[in-house]
Amino acid sequence: MDRKPGNNNISVIRVRDVLIVTMPPEPDDSVINALQESVLNAMERHESQAVLLDISSVEIFDSFFARTVSETAQMVRVMGGRTIIVGMRPAVAITATQIGLALGNVETALNVDRAFDLAATRPKPEKHDKSSHE
Amino acid sequence: MIKAATNNSPSGELWIKNENDIVYARGAVREAAIQLGFGQTDVTRIVTAASELARNTFKYAGEGVIRWGRVETGSRMGLQLQFVDRGPGIQDIDLAMQDGFSTSGGLGKGLSGSKRLMDDFEIESTAGHGTTVTLTKWRANW
Repeated sequence: MDRKPGNNNISVIRVRDVLIVTMPPEPDDSVINALQESVLNAMERHESQAVLLDISSVEIFDSFFARTVSETAQMVRVMGGRTIIVGMRPAVAITATQIGLALGNVETALNVDRAFDLAATRPKPEKHDKSSHE
Repeated sequence: MIKAATNNSPSGELWIKNENDIVYARGAVREAAIQLGFGQTDVTRIVTAASELARNTFKYAGEGVIRWGRVETGSRMGLQLQFVDRGPGIQDIDLAMQDGFSTSGGLGKGLSGSKRLMDDFEIESTAGHGTTVTLTKWRANW
């Protein structure tokens, strides 16, 4: 990940088997596009089993961002891992639900602490969700 | 469309020509919404709708203009956004407004979603001539 340091980049750190991926507050399309590669490469490098995607500073979660997150979660699953979205702000949760953004295939947690607890549990069995064909 | 404004009311326009302009448009709309006194949830709704439509403008028309300004009618005050492009237009507006419909492989939430986030929503489009989308969010307790 040869990304320049700065406050609009994705940060990826590893804690034990878990990757904590933090999105900047105002990710532009190129940052969002970099998400998949950053996450998948880090997963391979660190042999991580869970990805905590921290969006607690994200103010705008639109359908483009949602699609990328949902696709990334699917790729993580194909690689044998799981994705937990962490810290969605109330205003963002209201807006995303009103638009009808389906994140049904992604687990969520209120904060990083709880996400770690969740990551330590066994993943829920795969749901066969027909609506996930977007 | 956007009525004459008093001096201190936020209004402006911005060309959307590349992906970064989507971020600039969001920032400008956010500032206007905050200036007009919208609460945090409404600001997020308005900026998210702006993001969806700015991306549509860029993706389908290549470029276009976003305008924003304060509107007042009778006892109501709100923020109006308008997206104007001279792109290919929309063949079938009813179909395009359907939740989940997309010609680009997207989620198909851009138009239907932003309509749900705002209070008023108008779309005019002529195939071959372009599309104009006008949205308004009215302030509660004004």
